[in-house]
Amino acid sequence: MIIVAFDGLTKSYGHTPALGGVSFDVPSGEIFGLLGPNGAGKSTLIRILMDIIRPDEGRVLLFGEPRTRAHLDRLGYLPEERGLYTKLPVVEVMTYFGALKGLTRAESRRRALEWLEKVELPHVASWKIERLSKGMSQKVQIAATLLSDPEVCVLDEPTTGLDPVNVRLVQDLLVERRRNGRTTILSTHQMNQVEALCDRVALINQGKLVVYGEVGEVRRRYSRPEVRIAVRGPLPPVALAVAPVQEDDGTWRVTISNGAQPGDLLRALVEAGAAIDRFEPMLAPMEDIFLRVVGEGRA
Amino acid sequence: MKGWRRMGTVATFEFLSTVKRRGYLIATFGMPVFMALYGGIVALPAYYSQQRDKEPSVFAVVDGSGLLHLRGDAKISTAQLPAELRRALESAGQKATLDRMQADTNIIFRPMAEEPAARAALAARTIKGYFVVPADYLQSGKIDSYGPETLRFSSSDARNAFSDLLRAHLLTGRVDGAVAARVLTPIGESRRFAVTRAGEVIDAGRAATAVRIILPVAFMVLFLMSVLMTSGYLMQGTAVEKENKVVDVLLASASPDEILAGKLVGLGASGLLQVTVWLSVVLFVGIGIVPLMIAARVQVPWAAVALSLPFFIMSFLFFGSLMLGTGSLGSNMRESQQLAMVWSLTAALPLIFMALLIQEPHGVAAKIMTWVPFTSAAVIVLRASFDPGALAWWEVAGTFVVLVTSTWLAIRLGARLFRIGLLSSSRPTFREIIRQARLSPSTRA
Repeated sequence: MIIVAFDGLTKSYGHTPALGGVSFDVPSGEIFGLLGPNGAGKSTLIRILMDIIRPDEGRVLLFGEPRTRAHLDRLGYLPEERGLYTKLPVVEVMTYFGALKGLTRAESRRRALEWLEKVELPHVASWKIERLSKGMSQKVQIAATLLSDPEVCVLDEPTTGLDPVNVRLVQDLLVERRRNGRTTILSTHQMNQVEALCDRVALINQGKLVVYGEVGEVRRRYSRPEVRIAVRGPLPPVALAVAPVQEDDGTWRVTISNGAQPGDLLRALVEAGAAIDRFEPMLAPMEDIFLRVVGEGRA
Repeated sequence: MKGWRRMGTVATFEFLSTVKRRGYLIATFGMPVFMALYGGIVALPAYYSQQRDKEPSVFAVVDGSGLLHLRGDAKISTAQLPAELRRALESAGQKATLDRMQADTNIIFRPMAEEPAARAALAARTIKGYFVVPADYLQSGKIDSYGPETLRFSSSDARNAFSDLLRAHLLTGRVDGAVAARVLTPIGESRRFAVTRAGEVIDAGRAATAVRIILPVAFMVLFLMSVLMTSGYLMQGTAVEKENKVVDVLLASASPDEILAGKLVGLGASGLLQVTVWLSVVLFVGIGIVPLMIAARVQVPWAAVALSLPFFIMSFLFFGSLMLGTGSLGSNMRESQQLAMVWSLTAALPLIFMALLIQEPHGVAAKIMTWVPFTSAAVIVLRASFDPGALAWWEVAGTFVVLVTSTWLAIRLGARLFRIGLLSSSRPTFREIIRQARLSPSTRA
């Protein structure tokens, strides 16, 4: 089921184009990676989704219908440039954000305390925000965004500045959301996170959609036809294996001849009597795809 | 429905976070204490002056006319009042005049035979001054009065007391008691009334007049204080939200109209609470005035009282929207205050024109200002307070409709400016504001 659909979005700031007819869908219950270099138009797209700004052309469909302000309660948003009311206690700010999303004050407060437990900060409930460290503040912001359990949540660089332990904590929260059928749009420059978490990605460059699809499929699409093979003994020569190169760890990197699939090569090797311990089609890292696509755009 | 709920959430948050602020608590509860201290400091010199007045003041009299027959130091209340006149007043039933003549003035007149002796006594500061009554006083009516170079007592109580003394002696034995009483106190008791345009006679005594003036003045002062203080909170809050980058989170949860209206209601409620606390203190302290007002049969201008609250609230929303919208265009608190200053000055217009409005509450200027939304609330209350009969019902209703419509437009305009201000990290140019304001909501950035 498609939960968010961007349909031909165009937006300019004065004479500067920010989006040039962007269309793609976000399926329900996924962690969706929204990628792109700085200034590509990601923030504009997100702000249009949140109805903070309006597009020049195009529309956004939410839950299968044109987006209205009534949908705001079902959306969550953690902006890249974010902050909190520094002079107020943590629990009060979180309660306010929850109440803005339609929770009663009592329910919002209860959930705020529950979420502080989840992000391992139960002791800061009564602290003023200004007393929190940067990492604590970031976790409070994430908790404040998620406490209303929004059906669709946009998180813009949620883990920037967090230590590895807290990055893992946040990632676990996102996985838990997916398990509960919630959709998360994750805008990030950390490609390892995209590979580890995202089901699907959209890469925007210079206001245009340049890559879209499931992460595995995208990686395959941009991968060279190579496999990594670990065998006991020598690698038997087969016609489908072109220019095998032995790596330092003893494994072989083999290019598959034109038109053949990794399965064809595996079958040929087995028939040739190879004792195979590991056979792994090599997928292009998301970082390489990002650099390649963005680089091509600049060229 | 959700819009109201979001507005309520913003209003509740703004109200609670404002009333918990140290600055708000100090202003709310500290202001009455400050005013009491200020009143005490102002009253102190008056108190000492009053105490000093209780001490007897000696004035010498050099009587060249032989009219006064003064015998030693005496007050007018005792030896100076001729016995014959006292008897005449008593027999004519003029006790009130007698009482007034015998009232304790603490001024003692000391007869002196020669002027040099009086001058020497004044130079030595053993007396406060002296009067010289020349031999041809009856013909000329001339009296010379002398005092120290630092004090001009010619128009003081002493001169009045000396005039009474002269009158009493001049009348003795010449007229009957009733005529003497009227010469001594031509206007014994004066009651003041006013006739309205409808022909109704109303009390115009000091207390009634004071109430009619105090009510609109209090309205204007409280309104101005409330608008200035609350708009300060409004702009401070918005500046904090811009600086702390909370704006996008808010705008992703509520529309600028809902945020603006919520802020106005929340902070307006905190402003009203503040005014209520101040008024409660004033009423508590001044509760003793109520029996006096009842005794004096003061007619409270109830029409003005009834109009005060709705006009106060509507006018507050009107100015608040404009101030918040304009103030949000600033990139920091100082810029915001500079931008919103024009509205503060406009809100003060009725106070600036106060003298004119009191003089002619139903004059052309007042009638024009009634229909201008920037001044209508204060002027309507003033006109209703001074002469409710001359204020037509359609003027009140029409003015209120104009004010409500203007408030709605101000909220719309304020929300547009607010949106532009919130989404701009720096102060937008006038051209940019006009461009954004002219765009339809569907294309606005």
